[in-house]
Amino acid sequence: MLKSSQIDPNNYLIKQLPKATAFLNKKLEVIYASDQWAEDFEFSNGKVIGKKIGELLKHLSKDLQKDLKDCLKGNIGSVIKECINEKGNRKKWIEWTNIPWYDEKENIIGVIVQTESITEKINDIPNIERLQLLIDEKSSNANLGSWQYDAELKSLWWCEMSKQIHEVRKDFTPKIETFIDFFKDGHSKNTISMAFFEASEKGISWKEKLQIITEKGNEKWIITTGKPIYKNDKCIGLVGTFQDINEQVISNKKTEENELLLRTLIDSLPMNVFVKDLDSRKILVNKSELDFLGLKHESEALGKTDFDFLNKNNAQIGREEDIMVMENGIPMLKKETTNIKKDGTRTSFLTSKIPLKGANGKITGLVGLSMDISDLKKKEEELKNLINVTSLQNKKLVNFAHIVSHNLRSHTANFSMLLEFLVSEKDEEEKQNLINMLVKASDDLLETLNNLNEVVVINTNVNLKKQNISLNKKIKSVEKNLSVFLKNKNATIINTIEDNVKIKAIPAYLDSILTNFFTNSIMYKSAERDPIIKLSSSRENGYTILSINDNGLGIDLKKYGDKLFGMYKTFHNNPDAKGIGLFLAKNQIEAMNGKITTSSEVGKGTTFNIHFNESN
Amino acid sequence: MKAIKSIFIVDDDPITVFGIRKMLDRTVDFNTISTYGNGKLALDGILKALKSDKSIPEVIFLDINMPIMDGWQFLAEFIVLPIDEKVRINIVTSSIDPADYENWEHYNDKSHHLITFNTKPIKCSEIAAITKPAE
Repeated sequence: MLKSSQIDPNNYLIKQLPKATAFLNKKLEVIYASDQWAEDFEFSNGKVIGKKIGELLKHLSKDLQKDLKDCLKGNIGSVIKECINEKGNRKKWIEWTNIPWYDEKENIIGVIVQTESITEKINDIPNIERLQLLIDEKSSNANLGSWQYDAELKSLWWCEMSKQIHEVRKDFTPKIETFIDFFKDGHSKNTISMAFFEASEKGISWKEKLQIITEKGNEKWIITTGKPIYKNDKCIGLVGTFQDINEQVISNKKTEENELLLRTLIDSLPMNVFVKDLDSRKILVNKSELDFLGLKHESEALGKTDFDFLNKNNAQIGREEDIMVMENGIPMLKKETTNIKKDGTRTSFLTSKIPLKGANGKITGLVGLSMDISDLKKKEEELKNLINVTSLQNKKLVNFAHIVSHNLRSHTANFSMLLEFLVSEKDEEEKQNLINMLVKASDDLLETLNNLNEVVVINTNVNLKKQNISLNKKIKSVEKNLSVFLKNKNATIINTIEDNVKIKAIPAYLDSILTNFFTNSIMYKSAERDPIIKLSSSRENGYTILSINDNGLGIDLKKYGDKLFGMYKTFHNNPDAKGIGLFLAKNQIEAMNGKITTSSEVGKGTTFNIHFNESN
Repeated sequence: MKAIKSIFIVDDDPITVFGIRKMLDRTVDFNTISTYGNGKLALDGILKALKSDKSIPEVIFLDINMPIMDGWQFLAEFIVLPIDEKVRINIVTSSIDPADYENWEHYNDKSHHLITFNTKPIKCSEIAAITKPAE
């Protein structure tokens, strides 16, 4: 202990002490002080010695004052942290350690004070606490654990979270071997072993998504990182993290699986599936839709609208449907639509459009389902045609039965009647008259039978094959056959048909048809003018049309249109008319899958348009 | 029995016309028989008779299938003529087409005249019965 003395050499000694130290006498006046002490309190040394501590430091806390007094009573003081305000309100923390000052006789002669500036330490304490808290918080929220490996001690440390992730007890002590053992055999274990080696030997950090098997035997996906730490260029260990991402991986996997399932489903559906946004842009299309659009990859369709693929009017109709569905929220179900692509190809669809709602219930677009029913439509059309043909055939058959019955009956009725007369007739002359009539009736019957037979032949003879015939050649040959008749009637035929026009027809029928129409035109010629027949041809919807126009009497089609082609229907007082020609011609045309249309004006003439089917 | 003033036969088949006429000659008392080859000619005859105040037929034998104007067309025009007397119209046909039968029912309902439907051949024994004037 230093002697109590006023001698300056003592002070000189104390002045040099490395720690801030002051000696106070019983009056708590500074007797000696180290330069460090004066410096810490920012006193100039000269002004310190002899001053009371209370004067030097105005705001000594009560605790400190008490502690100093306790020291004078012989109690060893405690460590007191004291704050002083510096200029500019900066706080400065000082730690005081006070002990009693004894002379050689163990009398207390004052207090020895040592102080230390701990401002930095004090400021650091909350920071460290805060950081720790932050780390704990982070690690538990992010399922993120940390680990450290000390290469010198060969010791491994895991934080709480790391232990939780591995499902080990809190007192578990990890070792470097177990660290690697937790990883699943195969890829995970190989990867982590390599990463660990490369980190410690070559200083390469890692971040890997791997699987571990926990203490409890559960498989888990984690992301683990590792990073070497250096001291003086020497690797002294590794630090890193474990992050439990099992749930994400599993749910990602599930989502992926679900997506794959959905994708497989919609791509395998035998219908077009598309999802559109509010602007009718495609945001999902399936394979069928891609095939329909003639595209290979979904990306080629996404963001595009019907206007990019379909004919404008067609796309507009679709857009209007979309708007209706999305504005009203009412699905459009199973509507028959026809889509016409830019290249003109038409496809018939049975389309449903269902509004698509987002999580908040608002409509965000629509889901569309279109089933290609072109084949069905085609079949339906074929069926319709078949039904039409069948019912037409049936009608014709019934009609024919009536014709046969009517015609046969009318003749037999005449026979029966004439024979009844003949039996009772006495007059020889009248008898002869009746016999003549019977002969006529018999001739008529024979002719009728021939006519009927001709119709039956036309309708049943399927062996006759259609041939490619030059229309003009045939017309010329018929004209030649009729030349005498035409000349007698002063008839003119004006033919504007090109020589290269060919039709598919049964030659014999074509002969008969042409003959019948030509004679018909002339038979019903106007008394006021010589007959002129104009011939022309055109093509329309798979038919070659031969138009035969005359300047004859014409016929009121409103009155007689349905009977024009009837058997034994005649409409003018013409003794040569038998009402069989047009009937036969119509049967022949229809037997060749053709049809006939008529226009006429009474007193002006008639035009027959004979449609020859171009297909076989 | 009182003689029938006027009988019309409207048919384009000369044998039928001959037959009916012969049967009437044998069995019925009448003043005149007029024959027409189609409905138009018969209608013209009736219109002429109406205009000149001559007697219109009391009995008409009417064929259906005729050129220019057939039996049905004739009937359609005849039943709207201003004729107060009840005329007997005997349709005589060899048709068994149900459509013709329906047509007959149609006109029979529509008209105050007596319209009958007869299928050929008409027998001598039947002709008198269907030639009695309508009452």
